[in-house]
Amino acid sequence: MQNVQLMAPVTSNLTDLMIGDIVHISGTILTARDMAHLRMKEYLSERKQLPLEFKGAVIFHAGPVVEKVDEKYILRVIGPTTSIRMEPYTRMLGDIGVKAIIGKGGMGEDTLAALQRIGGIYLQAPPGCAVKLAEGVKSIKQVHWLDLGVPEAIWVLEAKCFGPLIVGMDSQGKSLYQEVKEKALKKMQDMFIKTVN
Amino acid sequence: MHKIISKSATNMYEQIYRLVKDVCTGISEDCLTLLKEAKEKEKNKTAKDILETMLVNTKLAKQQQKPVCQSPGFPTCYISFGEQSNLQDIQDSLPKAIQAATKDGYLRPSMVHPLTRKNTGNNSGIGIPNMEYQYVPGQNYLQLIISFKGCGAELGNALKIFTPAQLGKKYTGLKRFILRAVIEAGGKPCPPVAVGIGIGGQMDVAARLSRKAVSIRDWRDTHPDPGISNLESYLLQAVNSLGIGPAGMGGDTTALAVKIELSHTHTAIAPVAVNFHCWVARKGGIKIFPDATIQRIF
Repeated sequence: MQNVQLMAPVTSNLTDLMIGDIVHISGTILTARDMAHLRMKEYLSERKQLPLEFKGAVIFHAGPVVEKVDEKYILRVIGPTTSIRMEPYTRMLGDIGVKAIIGKGGMGEDTLAALQRIGGIYLQAPPGCAVKLAEGVKSIKQVHWLDLGVPEAIWVLEAKCFGPLIVGMDSQGKSLYQEVKEKALKKMQDMFIKTVN
Repeated sequence: MHKIISKSATNMYEQIYRLVKDVCTGISEDCLTLLKEAKEKEKNKTAKDILETMLVNTKLAKQQQKPVCQSPGFPTCYISFGEQSNLQDIQDSLPKAIQAATKDGYLRPSMVHPLTRKNTGNNSGIGIPNMEYQYVPGQNYLQLIISFKGCGAELGNALKIFTPAQLGKKYTGLKRFILRAVIEAGGKPCPPVAVGIGIGGQMDVAARLSRKAVSIRDWRDTHPDPGISNLESYLLQAVNSLGIGPAGMGGDTTALAVKIELSHTHTAIAPVAVNFHCWVARKGGIKIFPDATIQRIF
């Protein structure tokens, strides 16, 4: 199990990182949830310019709690939201250069295939740990699409040693969530065979 | 344990605001105790680390007076009242207190129109908070329990109208359904979870009971019906043997509690609702007496 510091935007493939590795991120992290993904898809299909660059980007499935002080947004807390809702968009993210996704609960087959194709990773953030995670965010650099509401806007965060994050899905086609699920299903089967006997 | 927090006739709004703020910046004592016990017992190294991060986060939230989780979830208020209770004041104060706590940075504005998805910006909205009333004859106080339940957890919820036969011998069908829901939910509901199970009534009743089970009961309590208490213990042990673990990344700690609430039903059906509560138990309650004394119950 490795313990890795990652700079974002990411400039190379992340094929060395395996499920179970611990990662901390410094640099730029972009939040995006359901509505931002939907709008990105719309923009791309209409060939409209996206408001920011996604090459090498780290996307965080999250919506922060913010305060507005003198026209400037200050982050109070931030933590992961359930990633599976964004499953339909990972291929699109890969196409525009995204290299890593941070969220919770893991994602599905399409994401696993996309991560293999782009040499990317999915990172699990500790769920419900918004104060701890906010310690790794130095500032809010920008916000886009705030008309979608605070949780659904794209917040551009300046991170320093953001984490701890655990590689939940890697570029070798491995998913920790899938492994856990298969073991659980087997365990449940055994439980009821015993009951019958 | 039962602390009197006010004896003066300060206004209801002020008391409720304080309760909302306190509830959102921490987790309830039952959950905290169970989380600490689980961390001690956990054998998987990654799982133990995640549980430790959760405990650290809880401590930081209280110290810094910040929301323990960025998502305030969805607010539901359980109110029980007697003949003398004044409901108007509490009903007016609750949405106001939630909106003020949002403005002050204790709750993220998260309530949206269900179809247009337009955010109201202050956690106001139709049916926000959800109010559940219960009349208790002779009760000389008004009881309020407020619960903010995370919504990632909702994505794992399951509901089925069983036929009597589908419940199975020794309730095998029921047990399989619940365990299957836990496995399908995996890491989505932010385990370690509390699993609320509502059985009986029709669909609406089972769903309401499943939410109530994890919102108003102490997660360490024992159901007064021994049959149900046994079923809760069996399910808790079975869920934790699945190995899903904290955050769904493997480990011994998948659930902190399994709570079942019942209602009688029609002879043709057995509705069952499974309702996940994340580890971030933001719930608290007060009793308000006629002399304006307010007692914090948890």
